[in-house]
Amino acid sequence: MSWKAWFGVIALGAALAGCGSGSSTAESSGSKPLVAFAQANSADPWRQVFDAETKAEADKHASDFTFEEQAAEDDPAKQNNVIDTFLLKQPKVLLVSPVTEAVQAQVEKAYDAGVPVILLDRAIPGDKYTAYVGGDNVEIGREAAKYIVDQLHGKGTVLMIQGLGGATATTDRKNGAMEVFKATPGIHVIEGDDCKYQRNAAKTYMENFLQSGKPFDAVYAHNDEMAIGAYLAWAASPKASGKRPLIVGIDGCQREMVDMIKAGKIDATFKYPIPGPKGIELAADILKGNKPTDKKVILPTERVTKDTADQYLAANPNLAK
Amino acid sequence: MRATKQWSWLTIAQRYQGLVGLLLLLAVALVLAPHNSAPGNLFGSVFFSSANLRNVLGQLAVPGALAIGATFVILTGGIDLSAGSALGLLNCIAASWLLHGASASATAAYVLTIGTAIGALLGLLVNVTKLQPFVVTLAGMVSLRGAAFVYTNNANISGLGHNFDFLEAPTLGIPAAGWILLLLVLACSILLRATVFGRRVYAVGGNPLAAEYSGVPVNRVRLGAYALNGLCIAIAAILFTARNSNGEPSAGLGYELDAITAAVVGGASLMGGYGSAGGTFIGALFIVCLNVLLILQGVSYYVGQGWKGVIILVAVYLQNLGRRN
Repeated sequence: MSWKAWFGVIALGAALAGCGSGSSTAESSGSKPLVAFAQANSADPWRQVFDAETKAEADKHASDFTFEEQAAEDDPAKQNNVIDTFLLKQPKVLLVSPVTEAVQAQVEKAYDAGVPVILLDRAIPGDKYTAYVGGDNVEIGREAAKYIVDQLHGKGTVLMIQGLGGATATTDRKNGAMEVFKATPGIHVIEGDDCKYQRNAAKTYMENFLQSGKPFDAVYAHNDEMAIGAYLAWAASPKASGKRPLIVGIDGCQREMVDMIKAGKIDATFKYPIPGPKGIELAADILKGNKPTDKKVILPTERVTKDTADQYLAANPNLAK
Repeated sequence: MRATKQWSWLTIAQRYQGLVGLLLLLAVALVLAPHNSAPGNLFGSVFFSSANLRNVLGQLAVPGALAIGATFVILTGGIDLSAGSALGLLNCIAASWLLHGASASATAAYVLTIGTAIGALLGLLVNVTKLQPFVVTLAGMVSLRGAAFVYTNNANISGLGHNFDFLEAPTLGIPAAGWILLLLVLACSILLRATVFGRRVYAVGGNPLAAEYSGVPVNRVRLGAYALNGLCIAIAAILFTARNSNGEPSAGLGYELDAITAAVVGGASLMGGYGSAGGTFIGALFIVCLNVLLILQGVSYYVGQGWKGVIILVAVYLQNLGRRN
């Protein structure tokens, strides 16, 4: 009975494991080299698009290498386990989107063992990696602020709804924008609450802020979810009959956001670039024997407004939701 | 005759269910796991290689030590939901001490003391308030996590230097952290099997009232079990700090459930009175081997999680089946 039960569980698991890996198990021992990707998490919308675009790019190279990905639930200890286990399979290139710098030791172990390591999105201290691909949040903050200053003709009050305190993305998106705002004498900035990048938190904060009755002309949210939350609060308030404030977000990874821009509910978002496809491209180059020429590849942002929304949707078929 | 034989199979499987599961898993791994020609591979399998032995024991050290700690508490009929939060706080304390230049031994001694004190405090609270351990340690889970964020001022601690590196260095093919876990399992096994305290832990979990009437100092035994759990968490925190070489207030999120899972898969009963250090070790080893095999096979983490749930259920069902008689 119990033997059978155990055997059933294991056999099912094994069957599933077989299905899951499909051809890769057979081939990893064969001629095709392995490109392994240790992802930080696969849960938030930006990471979902990240996964989809990375997979799509890897599929283009399916005849050159096998691609495998494992997510780590944003737990650096889990990511260390993933990297250690990947190394047993002797990958030819290791892609890592670090959870935190706590994975530095494992990344360096891989690099020291001669495996080229490409870091995506987040960097680690030191220089023991082959290449880094990511966006520049300070520059994105500057671009967003320049757009807001332009739209307000250099005069007005900006409410900044902030992302998770202490996160580098938050600090960078804030500092980049403040640089531009401070250089414009007509602009006054209200530093809003830490809404943790969450729509709901931003909505509640905005409801309270509207209650206070303080005048403002624009909302600069550190991500799209919070921009949507701010819009929803404004649309449900008595003030919705008046002139809508300018609303700007960052990320550009959700169809919902682009649709709202198209519908004229939100004004703009700035794409936080997805580093996966470029990482796969570099991996393919390394397999051909070409070392990356630049150690750091900084991908540019892209502004999405009502005019460019359709074009953006067409160019980015893998957007979340 | 036939029936008797079936029951004896069940008894064996139930008693050694963790081991039976592990052996089956290893058999599956032998067939399925990818092969390559790296040196040190047994049968050419990536899974049965010296590199994977290092890998598995390196991964096992932290969850293993946590699970051994959880076993003491579970044996008394309690549960500890605060283990993950305590690990996070102790990780931050260790990291902060190392960052400020403390030696490895001073840091370890301090963390072990604080960990044991936290465990003892929880045990004391359970004794004094007479509340369910679930509630007391739930409160501990919330407070200790908060304390970790306050302690680090909501930031990560990095740049610890190399004082703890020796814990990750391999000795005789296994990381020092792995040896520490094996010694811990051995020590706790002896403690539970061959000492008065050990017998009393089982007695308290089996039937606290009967234990009380037969002269067992129930409260003191419970306090001891929770303190030992705290000590094990502190050991886990030190090994965790060595492996990640930083301190994060969010570290160890959800680890208490992994620890409980390992104990249950290893044959411990959440009602108390059943279980062993060796069984829990096998349970933890089973889970780590399963994780490694799933990654080697390229199965998604989330699919793996689904299977872990099924395995827990089967393990508990088997226990129930055996113990109903």
